[in-house]
Amino acid sequence: MAIPAQANPVATPTSSAQPAEPPTGSQVTPPGAFPAAPMGFFTDTTICIGCKACEVACKSWNGLSADLFTLSGDSYDNTRELSGETWRHVQFIEQFPEAQDRVGGRWLLMSDVCKHCVHAGCLEVCPTGAIIRTEYDTVVIQADVCNGCRDCIAACPFGVIEINPASKTAMKCTLCYDRLQNGLEPACSKACPTDSIKFGTIEELHGIANERVQQLNAQARDAGQPENAYLYGADDSIVGGLNAFFLLVDKPEVYHLPSQAKLPSKQIPTASALGIGGTLGMVALGAVAFRKRRMDDFAEEARNGGEATGDPLPPSSPLSEAPPYPPSGREDAR
Amino acid sequence: MALRGHATIQGSTDVPTLYHSIHGYMPAPTVLKSHNTVEEYLKAETLPTGYWANTPKFFVSYLKSMYGDAATKENDWGFGWHPRISGDHSHMPMMVAMNDGRVKGMFAMGQNPAVGGQNARFQRAALGKLDWLVVKDNFETETAAFWHNAPEVTDGSIHPADIQTEVFFFPSAQVAEMDGTFTNTQRLIKFHHKAVDPPGDARSDIWFTYHLGQRLKKLYEGSTEARDQGLLNLVWDYEPDPEEVAAWQIKDEPSALKILREINGYTSGKPEEHLPGFAALKDDGSTTCASWIYSGVYPKPGIENLKAASRVPDGGGGGSANLGWGFAWPANRRIIYNRASARPDGTPWSEEKKWVYWDPDKVNPATDKPGVWTGADVPDFAAGKAPDAKPAPDAIGLDALSGTDPFIMKADGKGWLYTPTGLVDGPLPTHYEPVESPVPNVLYPDQRNSPVYKRWDVDGNPAAEPEDPAFPYVLTTYRLTEHHLSGVMSRWLPWLAELQPELFVEISPELAGEKGIANTDVVRVITPRAEITAKALVTRRMRPMQVAGKTVHHVGVPWHWGYQGLVTGSVTNDLSLMVGDPNVTIHESKTFVCNVEKA
Repeated sequence: MAIPAQANPVATPTSSAQPAEPPTGSQVTPPGAFPAAPMGFFTDTTICIGCKACEVACKSWNGLSADLFTLSGDSYDNTRELSGETWRHVQFIEQFPEAQDRVGGRWLLMSDVCKHCVHAGCLEVCPTGAIIRTEYDTVVIQADVCNGCRDCIAACPFGVIEINPASKTAMKCTLCYDRLQNGLEPACSKACPTDSIKFGTIEELHGIANERVQQLNAQARDAGQPENAYLYGADDSIVGGLNAFFLLVDKPEVYHLPSQAKLPSKQIPTASALGIGGTLGMVALGAVAFRKRRMDDFAEEARNGGEATGDPLPPSSPLSEAPPYPPSGREDAR
Repeated sequence: MALRGHATIQGSTDVPTLYHSIHGYMPAPTVLKSHNTVEEYLKAETLPTGYWANTPKFFVSYLKSMYGDAATKENDWGFGWHPRISGDHSHMPMMVAMNDGRVKGMFAMGQNPAVGGQNARFQRAALGKLDWLVVKDNFETETAAFWHNAPEVTDGSIHPADIQTEVFFFPSAQVAEMDGTFTNTQRLIKFHHKAVDPPGDARSDIWFTYHLGQRLKKLYEGSTEARDQGLLNLVWDYEPDPEEVAAWQIKDEPSALKILREINGYTSGKPEEHLPGFAALKDDGSTTCASWIYSGVYPKPGIENLKAASRVPDGGGGGSANLGWGFAWPANRRIIYNRASARPDGTPWSEEKKWVYWDPDKVNPATDKPGVWTGADVPDFAAGKAPDAKPAPDAIGLDALSGTDPFIMKADGKGWLYTPTGLVDGPLPTHYEPVESPVPNVLYPDQRNSPVYKRWDVDGNPAAEPEDPAFPYVLTTYRLTEHHLSGVMSRWLPWLAELQPELFVEISPELAGEKGIANTDVVRVITPRAEITAKALVTRRMRPMQVAGKTVHHVGVPWHWGYQGLVTGSVTNDLSLMVGDPNVTIHESKTFVCNVEKA
């Protein structure tokens, strides 16, 4: 979509909120860019209407090809999965009871995307340094550095990454890094007609998301229904937190999301006592403090004009793997 | 507010493509009524009370827009030249007439009846009876390709050599490639500017229509035949000013602004004197106005005075009318009949939501007396008529309405729950079964269908008998989010085509079980008109219904596919029946009967 660059075009309802004071500011961002701060998506699945405008906007902006022209037979989802050519994917999850009146049936809709993990498995394993952490705390694969080794594909706990058949390199959502660097909201959230996909700083998105959970659960309470709305990936319990997090109303597995995402570094049996202590300390600090420190690293990197001097990313904590979702009592009735 | 499904479909009824209306919802002149003279027409069509009492001003100004200086009081404003309708010329009867050889030529512009028409196979056969067919569209549509790529041609039933129709295809410019307006469902008219020249030979609809008109007028030049005088006297001058086309390669694009000026209205003979609104219209020929309801959209020359191009929001929160954003007909009123937003005594029903109300102290500028309707919107009421005003017994027009009658286009000024006259099957709605149905009418056992529905009992349009066991299921056709209508604007676009790539038939697991059909199996769908194939989509979103003591299965089929485009599929409308409701001839493709078998 040929959207002209503007100075302050963030069109989400959150745009009036001031972003968190960036530790690095303009030092690492080009003129006209959003200030460096953790940014991402909050996807409220309860207001997704399944229009797939996000999929089309993504392909249009990023120049991705249409690649599959067969009926899947899986509800209205013919996209099937995220891939090197498909960086947004709307899932259609039909939950209709067998009883002929179908009373209580519902259609869960959810626009899936790269989670831009705080502890990114892909970034951990990339042997060429092609995968970088940006000034927005997002995870971006540099196509001109990627050698197509596929290690990141196996390392992603969400099955997000695939090889793009045109470039032969690993590809996934960049959270529209090019648009962010020009002060533009990502294409998918810009196109979303219901604001199911919200873009903003993680701090403001967390605020909106928490309010929405409370609102939905209050409505459910008033209606005598189960309070089943919760956030997936907003806290640090899933790979340290997700910069693209979701509001769900059923178990993560219903949406094809793992309730316990595993990182490749967990398979490496080298954690020293010191390492474990450091991990526990990090958990105590919490994700926000952790993110802040990493953004400080960016600042230092910018000042030094070279390598970041901060600590390497710690592996995710074994203490943080309690399922984040409440018991729903619903089964996927497909 | 009418809910509209397409871009500017509101505009296409305001300045109509409807057969039974001329501009501004005035009835089309017809041979079926006493419409021999303007006087007869106005006698037949003017309501004595309410705002339609002004119809003579609207109608004479309209005839001046048609025939210009040639329309005089002496020649009855050229009314004799104006085309008359002679019956129901809506889409389905037109295609039946075409099939009978009574329609010789057709322009299909943004229309694809070979896919979108009911009983589409019948309609394609009708296209083959034309002498000529002009299709102007984005791509070679199924309508343009019916003679060489329709299923009845590719399967050998019909040979292209036997089709007599000469088909012309003209590529269309897209919306960003032309100046023009959209009118949305709120009656808000918004101008859009041309951004780029269209590629190659693609041209706008107004380019095509204008130059066609110019050529026709040249062909008939000098004719003294009475029947040709309407065409020869038709006002047809929309040549662009040089600065309008200075930036573009296409120098003969007609001026959208000059067309809009004619729609807005001007002083007859002085096009630069735009009319400020329809209150200025006269019935003596001194004003020219194509569509009275749009008058005021372009009150002064110059794009800076075109209200449809204005983009001035009120700012702040909600609760304001944003009167500077575009132009809403009539008279820039954002909500019509808005006097109803106040109580009978003129005070707002709700202080929070107050919109238009009576201010007894504010001075009415028209009369210099205190007491005027005011508020966020343009009041849709006589400005100085107090809430307690009573009409004189012999009053006409708006004067016949009291201060508590907000619905000023109605003769009595009241809101109506139903219409007491005019409906063929009125005054109140009731339930009839569709023409094709697997069940009896449980409400009226002795009267299955509407006694006045429209049916074309012609070869190629057979209906199933009531409760025919050969066609036990109810079929509903519908649209998907990913495609637009017959697919001309979506099945050619890879990013949309991949989202819904293949035609499918939605059936319940119960029906699939009965028929031995698995998900994505190819199935045949059969009606008395045709048989198509598609893939089964087995889903619990479809459910068997219990009707009149028996199980009735429901089958859902979207209708976006055809034989042209990036992704193709059977034409769902080959299955449907040409049948129309008695009032506006809306078809019944939301419900007819079928059978489904595994292929």
